[in-house]
Amino acid sequence: MSESQLRELFTQIAAGEPAASRVDVQLARRRGRARLRWRRAAVAGSSVLAAAAVAALAVTAGAGPARPGPAATPAAPRQFNPLVPYLSFGWLPAGNSLVAGGVRPEVAYLTAGRNALSPSTWDLSVYAAGQCHLTGPARKLTCSTQNLAGLTAQITGRAPAVRGHRAFWAGPYLVWQYARGGWAGLSLPLPYSSPKLSSPAKRAAAKRDAVKIADHVRYGAPTPPLVFSVQLTRLPSRWRVSSVYYLPDAGVLRVSRFALGTGNPDLGADGGLEYQTNLPYFSSIDPAALRKGYCYRAPNRKNSSERSTSETINGYRVVVTHQVLGTLPRQDLCSAHADGLSLYISEFGARPPISLTSLFRDHLRLLSANPANWTTRPIR
Amino acid sequence: MAVSRGRDAEYTEYVAARLSSLRRLAGALCQDWDRADDLVQATLTKLYVHWGRVRAATHPDAYARAVLIREFTRERRSVWVRRVSLSGTVSDCPAAGADQDAVLDLRAAVAALPPRQRATLVLRFYCDLNVDQAAGVLGCSPGTVKSQTAKALTAVRRALGPAPATGSGGQPAAAAEHPIYPGDRRP
Repeated sequence: MSESQLRELFTQIAAGEPAASRVDVQLARRRGRARLRWRRAAVAGSSVLAAAAVAALAVTAGAGPARPGPAATPAAPRQFNPLVPYLSFGWLPAGNSLVAGGVRPEVAYLTAGRNALSPSTWDLSVYAAGQCHLTGPARKLTCSTQNLAGLTAQITGRAPAVRGHRAFWAGPYLVWQYARGGWAGLSLPLPYSSPKLSSPAKRAAAKRDAVKIADHVRYGAPTPPLVFSVQLTRLPSRWRVSSVYYLPDAGVLRVSRFALGTGNPDLGADGGLEYQTNLPYFSSIDPAALRKGYCYRAPNRKNSSERSTSETINGYRVVVTHQVLGTLPRQDLCSAHADGLSLYISEFGARPPISLTSLFRDHLRLLSANPANWTTRPIR
Repeated sequence: MAVSRGRDAEYTEYVAARLSSLRRLAGALCQDWDRADDLVQATLTKLYVHWGRVRAATHPDAYARAVLIREFTRERRSVWVRRVSLSGTVSDCPAAGADQDAVLDLRAAVAALPPRQRATLVLRFYCDLNVDQAAGVLGCSPGTVKSQTAKALTAVRRALGPAPATGSGGQPAAAAEHPIYPGDRRP
């Protein structure tokens, strides 16, 4: 067993982060407030209790990444079309290549690195017009809204102009105005938890590379086609693909995750997608050979609302799971092997117009793992 | 962070930006995304309670990571977790390929480690912390980190059994790559 195997294992586990999270920030705030109230009460009644409530933590290591910041020429797009990648890298440092990308109406993004599992990546985010706001005398750039997982970049200094447009350093990020009303941000490849580029020389080289990458980003230029290995049919007419996450594969950009929407992502954004109550999202559509162990029947825990059942639909074995997260019902449907594909579909909401079993049975065409069968039209 | 902004707004902004990285760290520790989300949930509550400290910290991300790691080791020590902890059954897994087998074996071996040893490996080989930094997060001495790392690696190697001359699927034998020597190879 080698160090690299252990690193790869942890990176692989972390890379399998499910798109949808059960973590509830509002709940954490409520519980935190309750705990603070208790502590205050304890202070009033007994200083001993209050003292016990104080946790001491020593902080010794380097800071993690903040999110990148934004940038400016002709007018930036008012919105991105999730079916058009829009962005591409024109130059990357040797050994790096595109490993993933995605589009939401508010932002298009790309990730480049040495490989898909690399924890150290160049992350480019390009925001649509009006999504980012520079506040104060160029002190802080805030993009998108909180529930859509935007970014806030605390500007730390002036950076070399990117194609003649103003640019700033924001900690480990280069932010610049790529078009009128539109900003972009590029993160330097610092592992989030460890400043690997600790030597001034390496940091300076990374900054030079960042400026060169930014100088060569192509906006709106042709890219390889964005293709889907599934196709949805007979959906309500207002349903659209709201957001996609793709991987370069066999000369195309293969969509590995996508969500449906009607324009109101009330559940916010996470993992590159944005979510809407009562509409399904595909958190994984990959060739089955690439994803193993992601679909299984969860144990029915005594104190959990989660209930899983195995079914066979259209000849494919699927696992359907129902649970209630907080007050919000959620259902998941996954299949480890359906015509060569591994699928994981989820949906939040009490009254979905189309249940996941119905979606899988009546509205989903599986296009296999063969790239020749994939389509650029996910909804027909 | 702007001083004028409310505590809740600042907190929400911060955790929204860090949620994914905290989840990935929790995932590497727990190897179970349900538990990882529970761990992150508990961590976020603590961060809210101690938000003043987080704001004042030189490295808020490191502070948050330390809270998460300590919550993980604390939770795993508790009698409650030992009683209610369930091991998931992976009933619908397709047959794993040769390379995947090796990964699953390694994953199982790491999952079987005591929480503190697992946390040590994650800090050293996922977070890329050196011995002193890991000791700071775990609240122990650098020597303890070294010994925990050594014990963890020994246990993993024992669980994996002797390495073949060449791995299955044409993978090089583990021994042919750079071996891990805990503590003394990294700065």
